[in-house]
Amino acid sequence: MTGQASDPIVRGEALDQALGGYTVPDLPLDFVERVLAARDSSSTSSLPPLRRQRARRTTRRVATGALIAGALATAAAATGVFKEIGVDLPTPQEVWTTITGAELEPSAPPSPSPRPVSEPSQSVDAEAPISIEGPIDTPEELEEAFRRIDEARKTRIDRRQDRVDRQLDEAINQRREQGMPAPAPERVEAMKDRLEDARERFDNRSGQLREERREVLRDRVEEGEALGPGDVRPERRRPRRDGRWRDQLEALREMTPQERRDAIQRFRDRQDVQSQVTTEPVTPQVSLPDRE
Amino acid sequence: MSTEPADTKAARALQPPEIIRIAARDEAAFREAVVGYAPVLHRIAYRMTGNTADAEDIAQETMLRLWNNAERLAKRPDPVTLEPWLKRVAINLAFDRLRLRKRRSDKDLPERADPAPLADDRIEESETAARARRLVASLPERQRAALVLTYYEDLPNSEAAAIMQLKLKAFESLLHRARGALRVAFESEDQGGAS
Repeated sequence: MTGQASDPIVRGEALDQALGGYTVPDLPLDFVERVLAARDSSSTSSLPPLRRQRARRTTRRVATGALIAGALATAAAATGVFKEIGVDLPTPQEVWTTITGAELEPSAPPSPSPRPVSEPSQSVDAEAPISIEGPIDTPEELEEAFRRIDEARKTRIDRRQDRVDRQLDEAINQRREQGMPAPAPERVEAMKDRLEDARERFDNRSGQLREERREVLRDRVEEGEALGPGDVRPERRRPRRDGRWRDQLEALREMTPQERRDAIQRFRDRQDVQSQVTTEPVTPQVSLPDRE
Repeated sequence: MSTEPADTKAARALQPPEIIRIAARDEAAFREAVVGYAPVLHRIAYRMTGNTADAEDIAQETMLRLWNNAERLAKRPDPVTLEPWLKRVAINLAFDRLRLRKRRSDKDLPERADPAPLADDRIEESETAARARRLVASLPERQRAALVLTYYEDLPNSEAAAIMQLKLKAFESLLHRARGALRVAFESEDQGGAS
């Protein structure tokens, strides 16, 4: 018994005595063996269901593969044999085409030795990576910057989506293994679809805004303006409040109401002073607004 | 050389050896776990359901879940303590049983589940035990779980709260309501008996 002061069930009182009478029967002697037997039978019966469809698909693929391989081997052998006696037989490639319906590759002349990697295949302008040096002042540099930003964003979004999907699966698995009700697979799929729709809507909306900003930047570059990283990089969200902020908030919660009001007033005064300094540096004598 | 991913290795290092052994399909480790934990799971399940057969089923099912989920538990990035995990599973399974029983009883003529014990339970059950059973059964399932874990299993509130996956404050509030409801039920029984 807990015996805490707040416990309304006092040790030895009538209720305590009444509850104490709730005895539990012993487990059967063969309980352990029964569990082990159940485990063995459940591990047999809990084999994953037969993947009939997949099995059928696999069988079909194997059969098709065997047929093709056989046909090719036969044709190859026959070609070799009948060539000796002057009979015209289809080549293995022609047999392949008949079976798969694929276009016959033109019988290309023997391929030349591979071209050295260093040999430029096309014009330098078309192939060379665009490097951004100094400020961005050409449309090419700007597009390259956009491309890099998009690439980084895509990686970030993919990672985040993977993380969310994984967390969702883990949460469902945990519920299931702990005997709690968990959504059926169809429902999970529906949830993921809704999540995906929401992501798409968000991406479309933010993509439109991004494109509008980019159009402005393109115009500026067209007009000969040089852009710095701050212009091109998307505006970051406000950084999360750091630990110092949290400490200050905690300190506020510990204060008496009067102390809290005073502290907030001091904070507002400081904010007002800062805003006056930044907007009107030549008139520092402006009196602080009275907020009380 | 091991091909196990580094994060899985790290997770395994966090988990208690008994989970690792069971995950590796060590029969002896599983047997030890059944011998060691089944009695407490059975006690909890029995006081939650008030039924011998249900209690045994729940204890067995909980141990089977350990066997079936050990591999996943071993890979968890956070450390798993086995006993609270088992108790949580047993409590959840007991909730399931109680809800199932309620749904069935709501469909049948009697509106509530018959609190009377089965014949085999009745044989040796004293009046004191029957009264205690009635009192505990009078509580809603979550309040009952809170009482079983703290009063009967003598767990600190923090541990019981963790098992029920509740914040400490929420658990204490639940327990407070459970004790209050129990007292009301007890007093009304007393008055009923007296009148």
